[in-house]
Amino acid sequence: MTDLSTNIGRLRLDNPVLTASGTFGYAEEFADFYDLNRLGGVVTKTVTLEPRPGNKPPRICETPAGMINSIGLPNAGVEQFIAQKWPFLQQLKTAVIVNVAGKTPDDFVRAVEKLEVLQGIAAYELNYSCPNVKEGGLSFSSNARIAEQVTALVRAVTQRPLITKLTPNVTSISEIGRACEGAGADAVSAINTLVGMAIDIHTRKPRIASITGGLSGPAIRPVALAKVYELVKALTIPVIGIGGIMTAEDALEFILAGAAAVQIGTANFMNPVAALQVVEGLQRHCEEENILRLMELRGAVQVG
Amino acid sequence: MSKSVIQVPVVEIREVAEGIFRLTISAPEWSRTARAGQFVNIQIPQRNDLLWRRPFSVHSVDPVRGTLDILFAVAGRGSAALSEHKAGDSLNVLGLLGNCFTWTADLQEIIIAAGGLGIAPFILLLQQLENWPGKKTLFLGFRSSRQACCMQQLGALGAEMVLTTEDGSLGHRGLITTPLDDYLASLDKNGKRMLFLCGPTPMMRAVRELTQKYDIPAQVTVENRMACGFGACVGCPVELAQPREDGQTYMLACKDGPVFPLQEIVFND
Ligand SMILES: Cc1cc2nc3c(=O)[nH]c(=O)nc-3n(C[C@H](O)[C@H](O)[C@H](O)COP(=O)(O)OP(=O)(O)OC[C@H]3O[C@@H](n4cnc5c(N)ncnc54)[C@H](O)[C@@H]3O)c2cc1C
Ligand SMILES: Cc1cc2nc3c(=O)[nH]c(=O)nc-3n(C[C@H](O)[C@H](O)[C@H](O)COP(=O)(O)O)c2cc1C
Ligand code: FES
Repeated sequence: MTDLSTNIGRLRLDNPVLTASGTFGYAEEFADFYDLNRLGGVVTKTVTLEPRPGNKPPRICETPAGMINSIGLPNAGVEQFIAQKWPFLQQLKTAVIVNVAGKTPDDFVRAVEKLEVLQGIAAYELNYSCPNVKEGGLSFSSNARIAEQVTALVRAVTQRPLITKLTPNVTSISEIGRACEGAGADAVSAINTLVGMAIDIHTRKPRIASITGGLSGPAIRPVALAKVYELVKALTIPVIGIGGIMTAEDALEFILAGAAAVQIGTANFMNPVAALQVVEGLQRHCEEENILRLMELRGAVQVG
Repeated sequence: MSKSVIQVPVVEIREVAEGIFRLTISAPEWSRTARAGQFVNIQIPQRNDLLWRRPFSVHSVDPVRGTLDILFAVAGRGSAALSEHKAGDSLNVLGLLGNCFTWTADLQEIIIAAGGLGIAPFILLLQQLENWPGKKTLFLGFRSSRQACCMQQLGALGAEMVLTTEDGSLGHRGLITTPLDDYLASLDKNGKRMLFLCGPTPMMRAVRELTQKYDIPAQVTVENRMACGFGACVGCPVELAQPREDGQTYMLACKDGPVFPLQEIVFND
C-alpha cells in the first residue's frame, strides 16, 4: 500500500489532494458524486465577516482551455456559514480548511475569531489574492507589508495552521511569500487567478460585467508551475500548488516542482469527479513506478 | 434524485430541421425520472479548448427503450461538434440537473408559450401531462418553416396548438405574442390557469408583459451561461426583482432554476 500522506506544517493529510476555494462550494454540492472523505481535504468557498451579494452578471466566460470569472465572493457571512454550512462540513472525516477574506485587516481577524469556536477546522486559508474585490482585495496580496501585517494579526488570535493564498498578479510572488512566512504563516498556497479579459466583437462589450476577471484552468498551468517552483526555492514553509490541475499527471508536475499538496479548482466544474480521479491517479502512478511514499517525489525535479 | 456522470452511447442523431438536431442517448434511469425543465450537461469530446460542458434541456424520454432526447440548434463551436456525432459514439453526460415546471391539481388549463428551440422542454412536459384532465394550449412560434420541428410529436400529444412563423411560411404570419395576446384577452377572468414559457429574451419580455396585463401566473426557464451546472461555481446568477426575505438578491439558474416564476426575475440581457 503506497503512502500518499503529506504534511502542511502540523497538519497531516492522508493524501495531497485538496479542492480549491470557490470551485467546490461548501463540499455538499459534490456529495452526490463520491465519498468526500477520500480527498486529502476540502477548502471552502471564501467566507467573509459580513454577507456579500456577489457581482453583477455575466460573471463568467469561457476562454481557450480556461475561463474568466468575476464572482465577487458572494456568501452569507461568517454567522450564516456557521449556522448553515458548518453542520455538513463538520461531519466530514477529511480535513476541512476554511478560506477567509476581508476588506480590512480587522475583518480577517474578526471572521477568524468567530470561526475559532468551531471544533474541527483543520486550518485557515487567508485569501489575500482575489482580484475582484475592489475595496482593497488586491492590496493585501500585492503589498508585502500589508500581507505581513494581516498574517501577524490573524496569527495572534489562532493556534490553527494558517495558509496564505497568493496572487500571481505581482512583480515578485516570493517577496510576498517571505513576508507571510516571517509573520507566522504555516504554508502558502499559489496561485490564485491571473487577471484576464475577453471582448465580444459583435456587441463590443467585455464578456464579463466587471470588464476584467480572474483567468483559471489549464491555460494558466505553466504559469502556476513556475510560480510554485519560485516559491519553493524562496521559502522554508510548505507550498500548496494550484492552477489548471486536471489530472494526476498535472498534480505530479507540481509535486516534482516541490509542492507539498495541490488544489483542484476549475477541473471540478468540467468533471465533478476530477479531484477523486487525481487521488486515484496518484495512487496508480506510485504503484506502477514502485514508489512507496509519494512525497519522495516532492521537489525531485532534475535541474542542471 | 441524486446527480451523476454517465458515459453513454448515442443511440440516434437526426437533423430534424435546418441546423436543428435531435440526439438520443441511452439513459434508462433518467428516462424514468426526468421532469420537464431539467437539463443535462454534455462534455464536448475532442475539443480540449472548450472547457465547459454544454447544457441542454431534456426534450423527451422513452422509458420503454430507456432513452432520453435533447433537441439542439447549432449555435457555436460546441453544438457544431456535437452535431457531428454518430450513433454508437460515446458521450460523457452530467445529469439530471435543475428544477422543473410545477403545477397544482386544481388548474383548469396550462398554456405553453414556446419560441423556436424553446419548444425543447415542452415535449417532455406534454408527455407528463398525457393523462392530465385539464386543457392544454400551445402557442408555438418559429422564424420560418425551415426551423419548424416537433410537429409529428406534438400531433400525438393532445394539445391545442396555435402556430406562427415570422415569414408566414407555416401557420399564421407574425410573432407568437399576437395570437397569445388575443387568446388571453378572450379568457374568463375567474379560471385557474398557469402559463409556461421558454424562448428568446425579447419573447420572454413580451410574454411577461402579457401575463402581467392578464394576471396569469407563469413559469419561465432561463438559459444562463454555465460553467458547472450544479451550484459549484456561482457563475449563473439570476437577479430577483425583489430581494428575498433573507436579503438574497440572486438565485442560481442551474440549481435554484432553470425554472423560475416569471414575475420574480429580471432579464439582464
Ligand atoms: C439550462 C439550459 C438549457 C438549455 N437547453 C437548450 C436546448 O434544449 N437546446 C439548445 O439548442 N440549447 C439549449 N441551451 C443553450 C445551449 O446550452 C447553448 O446554445 C450552447 O451551450 C452553445 O454552445 P456552443 O459551443 O455551440 O456555442 P459557443 O460557441 O460557446 O457560443 C455560442 C453562444 O452560446 C452561448 N453559450 C455558450 N456556452 C453556454 C452555456 N454553457 N450555457 C448557456 N449558453 C452558452 C454563448 O454565450 C454564445 O452566445 C440551454 C442552456 C441552458 C443553460
Ligand atoms: C469560479 C471561481 C471562483 C473562485 N472563487 C474563489 C474564492 O472564493 N476564493 C479563493 O481564494 N479563490 C477562488 N478562486 C480561485 C481558485 O481557488 C484557484 O486559485 C484558481 O482558480 C486557479 O486554479 P484552477 O486553475 O485549478 O481553477 C475561484 C476560481 C474560480 C474559477
Ligand atoms: S453554473 Fe455553476 S453555479 Fe450555476
